[in-house]
Amino acid sequence: MTTPALRATGLTKVFRGEGGETVTAVDGIDLTIGSGEIVAFLGPNGAGKTTTVDMFLGLTSPTSGTIEVYGESPHRAVVDGRVSAVMQTGGLLPDFTVRETIRAIAALHGRPERVDVVIERTGLGPLAGRLVKACSGGEQQRLKFALALVPDPDLVILDEPTTGMDVGARQQFWDTMRADAADGRTIVFATHYLAEADAFADRTVLMARGRIRADGPTAEVRAAYGSQTMTLRPPAHAVGVHGIDDAWLADVRRALAPLGITDLEVSSASLEAAFLALTGEEATR
Amino acid sequence: MSTISIPDTQATATPRRPAARPLAVSYAGLDLKRQLRDKVGMFFIVALPAFLFFVFGMGDDESYGSANVAMYVMVSMAAYGAVTATTTVAGAAATEQTMGWGRQLALTPLSSLAFVAIKTAVAMAVAAVPIALIYAIGAATGSSGNAVDWLASAGIAWLGSALFAVYGLAICLVFKGENAASIASGLIVILSFLGNVFTPMDGLMLEIGRFTPLYGYAGLARYPISEGYLPMGAGHDPVWLLLANVCAWTVIFAALAVWGLRRRRERV
Repeated sequence: MTTPALRATGLTKVFRGEGGETVTAVDGIDLTIGSGEIVAFLGPNGAGKTTTVDMFLGLTSPTSGTIEVYGESPHRAVVDGRVSAVMQTGGLLPDFTVRETIRAIAALHGRPERVDVVIERTGLGPLAGRLVKACSGGEQQRLKFALALVPDPDLVILDEPTTGMDVGARQQFWDTMRADAADGRTIVFATHYLAEADAFADRTVLMARGRIRADGPTAEVRAAYGSQTMTLRPPAHAVGVHGIDDAWLADVRRALAPLGITDLEVSSASLEAAFLALTGEEATR
Repeated sequence: MSTISIPDTQATATPRRPAARPLAVSYAGLDLKRQLRDKVGMFFIVALPAFLFFVFGMGDDESYGSANVAMYVMVSMAAYGAVTATTTVAGAAATEQTMGWGRQLALTPLSSLAFVAIKTAVAMAVAAVPIALIYAIGAATGSSGNAVDWLASAGIAWLGSALFAVYGLAICLVFKGENAASIASGLIVILSFLGNVFTPMDGLMLEIGRFTPLYGYAGLARYPISEGYLPMGAGHDPVWLLLANVCAWTVIFAALAVWGLRRRRERV
């Protein structure tokens, strides 16, 4: 049996506010990610995704619980170049060129021979001589991805990797990612774009308020919680300027209850339905 | 699974690589190059002290201690340039950490201690630039003194400027934000006046100035020439007083830096 890429047990992070009040950002996560998996961390802002990623990378230590990356401590895995990341809050130096930025990080990894490899893989060749501050948000994001590839990691963690990219750049980014996944890298990405989880992840972990709400093959998560939906048009007299009349809706609920229908909420996209149901966000009535 | 495949030769050729070690010198070289390219920064580090040297006494051949006035002013301005250099580099290092580059570095095998060592090396390399340049200008325009004056003053000005790396770090850790580095270098100008670096002071101002951070450092750099005697008969500073000033401010800046770092960590 091979060592999993990542194993977390009872992972919890509590932040202490200024007034002494505590905020539980991550609340007892148990998770195992096998080698070669592509996993999406899906959840709304504030779900605890970034804190979780920080703990995976050893940038934040958990309040309680354990975490192992390839059987080692996260910090050890980082030092060995086995895990790398594109971080949401990771910054670049504006007055380095693209190439200098990659050379600097490659020097710190002791892997100067990787510079040309990652420039080619991420298509940054034409931008190599440009100052970082002259690059667009999407180009900077691509540079961050190049930096993550420098140590030739077995596990890549991406926190909201396509933030600030337009549709074209996003597509290009995921094409590069797919090529990389084919090399057998394990990829974990946090996102709040449902479509990205749907299109790129074999497995989806739904997170809300610091907890895992669902975890399984993306298709199953969608099937189990999204299933099929039914749309019906209410009669004209039941619809006012404020939407469907509450009393009429209550009548419908009562009428449908014997059939085992527990909710009337109707959403369009299937995975979105799962997302909303599980994260407890209010759907439009 | 994806169907697109671009083979990564690096990945397939070596299944488990030997542990690579950070090439700190390469990183420091890139970082130094970046610093030297910063035109605004280098203006304050090199051009401004050179200009002030020109204004305050370039070529003034009146004798002063074992040298002449031009030499005295030259040492002061070189010291000012060196201090601005270390303050700027150290301040930028603190800012880089808070702007997120620190998180990128945290994903490499580089230890915090090695980072501090790299930044210190870069700061000291940049500090050598104004000293070398202003001494070269001085040599060409009639600063004169004996060999000990030249070598000892340059050495003290260079080594002593390290104190202001601690200062730059402290200011940028205490006042966070992008402007912290500008505040730190701006304060250096005021502290230089108070520290008897620009125009010679006397009376009450001198008494106050003795307690400011640049006073001890600049006094020590000029000590080989002046042996502690102040210009225009304003008095004499024993070497212990100058050393005490430097030691006291080293402790104060270091304590401030540690306090700033702790406060910042707590907020995370």
